[in-house]
Amino acid sequence: MKTAALLPMLTAAVFAASPITEQNLREAQADSANWLTYGKNYLGWRSSDLTEINTKTVSRLAPRWIHQSGASGQHETTPLVFGGKMFVTGPSNHAFALDLLTGKELWHYHKVSPVGLDLCCGEQNRGFAALGDRLFKVNIETTLVALDARSGAVLWERQMADYKKGYSATGAPLVVKNKVVVGMAGAEFGTRGFIDAYDASTGERVWRFNTIPAKGEPGSETWAGDSWEHGGGSTWITGTYDPDLNLIYWGTANPGPGLDGDVRAGDNLYTDSLVALDADTGKLKWYFQFTPHDTHDWDAVEDPVLIDMVVKGRKVKAVVQANRNGFFYALDRTNGQFLHAAPFTKVTWATGIDAKGRPTAVPGMDPSESGVKVCPGLGGGHTWHATSYSPQTQLFYFNSIDGCGLFYRNKQEFHEGQWYQASTDAAIPSEPSGGSLLALDPATGQTRWRFEMVTPAPAGMLSTAGGLVFTGDGQGYLLALDAKTGKPLWHFQTGGEIIAPPITYTLNGKQQIAVAAGTSIVTFALMP
Amino acid sequence: MHLYQSMRNAGEFDSAVEGRYSRRLLHRWIALAVTSAACCAQPSQNPVAGDPSAIAGGGAAFRPYCTPCHGIKGEGGRGPDLTRGVYSAGDKDSDLYNVIANGVPGTEMAGFGSDIKEEDIWRIVAFIRSLARHDIPALSGDRAAGEKLFWGKGACGGCHAVNGKGGLLGPELSRIGRERSLAFLRESVLEPNRDIKHEYATITAVKRDGTKIIGVGSLDNFTVQITDVAGNYYSFSRSDLASCTRELKSLMPDNYSRSLKPAEIDDLIAYLVNLRGAEATQ
Repeated sequence: MKTAALLPMLTAAVFAASPITEQNLREAQADSANWLTYGKNYLGWRSSDLTEINTKTVSRLAPRWIHQSGASGQHETTPLVFGGKMFVTGPSNHAFALDLLTGKELWHYHKVSPVGLDLCCGEQNRGFAALGDRLFKVNIETTLVALDARSGAVLWERQMADYKKGYSATGAPLVVKNKVVVGMAGAEFGTRGFIDAYDASTGERVWRFNTIPAKGEPGSETWAGDSWEHGGGSTWITGTYDPDLNLIYWGTANPGPGLDGDVRAGDNLYTDSLVALDADTGKLKWYFQFTPHDTHDWDAVEDPVLIDMVVKGRKVKAVVQANRNGFFYALDRTNGQFLHAAPFTKVTWATGIDAKGRPTAVPGMDPSESGVKVCPGLGGGHTWHATSYSPQTQLFYFNSIDGCGLFYRNKQEFHEGQWYQASTDAAIPSEPSGGSLLALDPATGQTRWRFEMVTPAPAGMLSTAGGLVFTGDGQGYLLALDAKTGKPLWHFQTGGEIIAPPITYTLNGKQQIAVAAGTSIVTFALMP
Repeated sequence: MHLYQSMRNAGEFDSAVEGRYSRRLLHRWIALAVTSAACCAQPSQNPVAGDPSAIAGGGAAFRPYCTPCHGIKGEGGRGPDLTRGVYSAGDKDSDLYNVIANGVPGTEMAGFGSDIKEEDIWRIVAFIRSLARHDIPALSGDRAAGEKLFWGKGACGGCHAVNGKGGLLGPELSRIGRERSLAFLRESVLEPNRDIKHEYATITAVKRDGTKIIGVGSLDNFTVQITDVAGNYYSFSRSDLASCTRELKSLMPDNYSRSLKPAEIDDLIAYLVNLRGAEATQ
């Protein structure tokens, strides 16, 4: 609610009214001045062509203004920037429009969350999607809301599922054509996952893809008995879109209950999978399951990033993902065929991935009553935190959690709306996990550089054509590294843990950086 | 989901931000911190006390939330032993309910009131009651002798403070008897490196002139703050140092099993387990 100018203010900024069109979204990469969609472009690159802030100038980077949201809880938003304004969401159904020049709050949307929510991880929210003069966001009680970007007024709101049954929603929607595509959370409560598409104009639901097939549907044979009814497979991180193939790529979460696999014998499709859906109909084009019959809570919701690259001499339209199970994967995104995989952190649960992409599991790694040590731990090798692909370096950047955990299991009956994880994990005494930032060649899976952190880095990534990678850490630093070498070139203590990914845009032609840190949005530009 | 719970359990976040863990804990803890103040008015007696099905249900709920600190059978670990039949924040059913729902400020016990439904908290209370054993032998050690050892032969007070007296290189111990199980206290005396938090790991900074500074403190990716054994305080940019390392090893001597007799160890434990903190007075 308060702003502080830390660099000399620019004196004026004028922006023409500019509703976001479908074409704008398809061409978002070329629009360096703005940030129009969750992943910067449809492909999920989170990479900007801007070069003013670069390896030589980054030492002059300094804060411009800070917006304090006043909302408690973790701020995980990817801000959108267009029309001279920044649009950010906060936890607990807060959202703001900010003046890009001053950080001044232009409007504040807030809806009080219902009491009695069953949540695994708090009331986070990861951002808006935009189309026309409209903004779209989820509210924690599993609604999708459309706001007038000019005023913050509610245009429509749709209930996607019943929060009293354990459903919730936290991810940023994805606008494709005239549809708002959106996921849900709640696999820890025995929910049944889905991905929905709503008409952006009317809010009417156009299609739904259930991530857990019902009895008799293809894939239902991978669930014992009626276990599919509580199968989980939530969809809490935004997917990507290939306009040429008209396919949406979306990751799915863990099966339910997460740690007791005995009650759900089988591979448990389509949990821990990447699904490719026809954007018009929501029909499944293909799927790839990373962790069949998962018993370690290794969601596969991590960013599916679309890259055209040469693999073993062959041009491939690929989709890559740094999976929570500790392996990096590359798939052919036209058909889901496995290309290659490589561990990026210590992995003890599998000796490798076979030619078809199925892990070669090590026996005895299922959770037990007395606890079983498995690497990576429950938090995985990498989880939802945003990744980046730089077309300049042709490297893929993400954070890695490097460590192990003790996995426990118990027997737990399902009760609607109640926690249904059948036990938990624990840290191993005096074996704290480390963390690192990785640059990996997606065409081979080989790590190019690794920057070791004192603790696991919880923040997302941004790469720029200035030869930089930006990210944050758990102690509140925003940092910039040389994208080619991983050498840290600049850092600033923001005063709040950084979980969100940084973004970049321009103001009056000058490159800016913005990131959610603690409960604030902090922006940066070069000092004269 | 779940990611920061383990991190918190491991003390991997130096900031006081987190609670339930690998990620789930971190997120949840914050939510709870916000909501707990207004949370959970409840009856003073457990409506399901002694009910076998409630005890079974409570055991199931206990597992995911409580075992990481209190052990699978409630035997304690980093958190107190719950089988002793006496509880650190009060022995009434309503005390147990409040601790589970709202946590214990100033300790690692987070509140779970917005994660666990009221009826399930009561089931957990019933389960915890069912764990109580009444055949626990009395501690063999002499508390007064232990206190003397603490400040004398053991030299514990050089690094640990109790009620405002002593050093602060190691953990402050005024309430340690409430916060740790007996087994954990014994392990911490005999094997101080077995379960150690980041803030008590040994940091070694080497200045460019070769001067070495060894102590405990806070290390991040760019800076380090150290208090050495003499109580001197240092703060550096890591880029100004020749090197800086943190080893997950305590500065505490690990030879008490040899330097103290078994009976003396028992005395010391008897002293520590009775450090219960100051009670509020009117």
